[in-house]
Amino acid sequence: MALHIIVCIKSVVTKAPENGIIRSAETAEMNLFDRPALESAIALVEREGGTVTALSMGPKSCAFVLHEAIAMGADRGVLLSDPRLGDSDTLATSKALGAAIKKLEPYDIVLFGTRTYDSDTGQVGPQTAVSLDIPLVTGVSSLNYEKPLLRVERKVDGFREEYNLSLPAALTVHPASVKPRDIPLSGIEEAFEKKKIETWTLNDLSLDPKLVGKKGSPTEVLSMKKMTRERKCEFLEGTLEEQAEVLIERIKETGLIT
Amino acid sequence: MNTFLSEKNRAVRRSVRAFCEREIMPIAGEIDREARFPWEVIEMMGKLGYFGIQVPKKLGGSGMDSLSCVITIEEISRACGSLGLCVTVHNSVAVYPIMAFGSETQKKRWIPPLARGEKIGAFCLTEPNAGSDAAGVEATAIRNKKGYLVNANKVFVTNGGVADICLIFARTDPDAGRRGISVVVAERGTPGFVVGDLEDLCGMRANPVTSIRLYDCKIPAENLLGEEGTGFQIGIMALDTGRIGIAAQAVGIAQAALEESARYANQRQQFGVSIGKHQSIQAMLADMATELEAARLMVYRAALLRDQGKHFSRASAMAKLYASEAASRITDMAVQIHGGYGYSKSYPVERYYRDARVTRIYEGTSEIHQMVIAREVLKDYAK
Ligand SMILES: Cc1cc2nc3c(=O)[nH]c(=O)nc-3n(C[C@H](O)[C@H](O)[C@H](O)COP(=O)(O)OP(=O)(O)OC[C@H]3O[C@@H](n4cnc5c(N)ncnc54)[C@H](O)[C@@H]3O)c2cc1C
Repeated sequence: MALHIIVCIKSVVTKAPENGIIRSAETAEMNLFDRPALESAIALVEREGGTVTALSMGPKSCAFVLHEAIAMGADRGVLLSDPRLGDSDTLATSKALGAAIKKLEPYDIVLFGTRTYDSDTGQVGPQTAVSLDIPLVTGVSSLNYEKPLLRVERKVDGFREEYNLSLPAALTVHPASVKPRDIPLSGIEEAFEKKKIETWTLNDLSLDPKLVGKKGSPTEVLSMKKMTRERKCEFLEGTLEEQAEVLIERIKETGLIT
Repeated sequence: MNTFLSEKNRAVRRSVRAFCEREIMPIAGEIDREARFPWEVIEMMGKLGYFGIQVPKKLGGSGMDSLSCVITIEEISRACGSLGLCVTVHNSVAVYPIMAFGSETQKKRWIPPLARGEKIGAFCLTEPNAGSDAAGVEATAIRNKKGYLVNANKVFVTNGGVADICLIFARTDPDAGRRGISVVVAERGTPGFVVGDLEDLCGMRANPVTSIRLYDCKIPAENLLGEEGTGFQIGIMALDTGRIGIAAQAVGIAQAALEESARYANQRQQFGVSIGKHQSIQAMLADMATELEAARLMVYRAALLRDQGKHFSRASAMAKLYASEAASRITDMAVQIHGGYGYSKSYPVERYYRDARVTRIYEGTSEIHQMVIAREVLKDYAK
């Protein structure tokens, strides 16, 4: 049977909002960490056959991430969009994504980025796997389908781990594992020419609305502001050896080396 | 945010910009200095469809609209004017006339490799004695039993050093004035096809602009584009489209100049404050941003009219005239805002200044555009 891979992608905010978080193509973009996940899915399907579904939860203005995913090579996009999903934290988001993934059954692999660069919790992938009750490997650097198993590799703390997974399974993909492909113009044309994106609301899912949104979220983001880091330029004096000594001390102070 | 643009247009901008920022911007200064055509990047651009933007998919292109096409050219030019020139000339005055006037056989033969960027196209109209007065071409294509015997001395050919497929404007009838001009397609490698030396230009230095000479070149009859005697019309139609591209190129270069200037004005300190706090610098930035936006709107409008199948030649001429003049002013102010550093090769604005300058010259000088636009305006109100 041909593989069905679901890739969960998120639009992340690039500009700190004035009041409240508004996501649109102008103020948001596809989470950079999701691109390698998409690339891995598309490449695997190119090798093994099958289909890639991109799934995103967010307001309607975020459909652009799905267009982008399709332009890259995904076959289909599903936007989970419902005002009742607003203010969902990572737990509520994982429950909603889990319910959407169930509706996309049968599937073989669910892929996530390791984290997002606008909130950086790294929780959604693992929590969704738990909600689906399927095996999970995080930070995967390569994946190969060796029917009926999925063989994945993961590099951590100087070790290389290999796993054989029975399917369905979930993975988070290491950002440096693959170079995401560039989007060809013809892909964009195709993404918009054929209606390949569906929008689902909570009514389409078998999920208690109380489990998502503000009510379903044990945590809440109170505010979000752009942080500016003070940059300082300092000239070190003395001979080269003395400068090197001071430099080493300074780097030690930052904790980067010991 | 630009209200003209569809979600698709925006997706085009995002993807082209991401590519150009990663692959072109970092080398733009170097290829300008070395006058080098970056084949390694051209190859990638070919795979992404930048050489067949509006060619239908069945002929190997991307099948996009004009608005997406100008956004692509604008974004490439924001990173590098020379590559913007390569792409606009290839798409609008080489590929497009073949699409519009070529027979099915000609399209099948020439378009797929052009659309994939495996072959590069060129438009060869200008001669030493025929610049603004394009009807003055002296190149000849003499018909014989097998085809045409072509002699031509074409100068200032954009992409000349790398082009495989060249549209040559030549006289098939010496006495018929502009009705005696035809377009024949000459392929590099044909005996008698000679590529001249690189022009040592002020700007656009990464584009291999050369002369192309044909000495007793035997071109088969099936390489005639359209009918004999329609060359001048083909040229006019191609340039109507081409000018939107040149205008988009001017907008892209000006955009880069504005961004660089605003960043610099925030960071450079003089008299104890960032120079952006000085009113004269603010006035320049305000004028730059406003003129840029006006130019951009004119370019998008011309493209949109073309997409809607409406008459767009006046809009395209106006967009080319305004955008090229605006880009010259904007890049000039960018140099001014940078002070001495703006005049130095260590900063990119002097390149923008040199690159923008020529947009007022090629595909019809500003003066020729003024003449054409004025003629139409006068006609509008003639009794
Ligand atoms: C980088 C570069 C790339 C180019 N690429 C190409 C290409 O790919 N293909 C191609 O065919 N050509 C190309 N050209 C040539 C370009 O199109 C011509 O240079 C342009 O058309 C002007 O012609 P000219 O240089 O002979 O100037 P001229 O026509 O001699 O003009 C000189 C001056 O006289 C003015 N002038 C001329 N006639 C009139 C008039 N009737 N009324 C008022 N003013 C007038 C002009 O505006 C200009 O200011 C390129 C040029 C450059 C610099």
